[in-house]
Amino acid sequence: MIRHKTLKIVLTILMSFVLFGSFLYTRNAAGFPGESSRIMFFHVPQAWVAVMAFSLSMVFSVIYLKKRDVRYDMLAVSSSELGFLFCILAMLTGSMFARLTWGSFWNWDPRETSILILLMIYGAYFALRSAVNDQDDKRKFSAVYSLLAFATVPFFIFIVPRITISLHPSDTMNPMNPQLDFRFMLVFILALVAFTGIFFWMLSLKYRWLQLEEKFNRMDTSWDLD
Amino acid sequence: MGSGLIIIFTVNIVIWTGIVLYLFHIDRKIGKLERKIEKTSREN
Repeated sequence: MIRHKTLKIVLTILMSFVLFGSFLYTRNAAGFPGESSRIMFFHVPQAWVAVMAFSLSMVFSVIYLKKRDVRYDMLAVSSSELGFLFCILAMLTGSMFARLTWGSFWNWDPRETSILILLMIYGAYFALRSAVNDQDDKRKFSAVYSLLAFATVPFFIFIVPRITISLHPSDTMNPMNPQLDFRFMLVFILALVAFTGIFFWMLSLKYRWLQLEEKFNRMDTSWDLD
Repeated sequence: MGSGLIIIFTVNIVIWTGIVLYLFHIDRKIGKLERKIEKTSREN
């Protein structure tokens, strides 16, 4: 978790470099129409963070089911929420890329459809959490659902786009791709690091917030905190 | 850079700078609240 001030400052500098570098330091990658290759600095890291967040949510859910420690449920729900957010961002940037390359924001391409189904599956996770009133049941049901939901992630992200005909480029960000130069790969890798860092920072904030809520609920609410 | 790209560049900078500043702000607020709750629970 990111709690150290220096780490946050380093992350801010890194993010600034990615923001400026993606437009001012890099050239357009060959094989991409117009300036569309610059979307890769945002779209791919956001998709990566979404998959990582859903994986972490599944891991925390397993630990919760094993230990029945509320802190792991907090981490699982925080991770799912952030995964959902980054999944929406990846879908938005992906549809911008689709508009530039395929002429339309939405094409019902297998990749687009599978990310939409994934969003609905995780949307149901939040619906389930809000539908159960008993706290223990809520945590238990949502942890089990998180495991089931994650089972679909590899299928929708990695398998469906590969067994169907997709417009989505498959190996453009491979470091061995000769169309990508050093500067492009440098900014891309730093973007991956920066977005991962931002995710862990957000996760730590959300987790601390849920812990505060829990503590506050246990306290006498008549205490004046102002 | 074309004018469209300049607009996207500026919007992108504004959005992500806003997000990072907001994270710093929330971080500080949560830190303050944590300290207050800690202090209040010690006093009681």
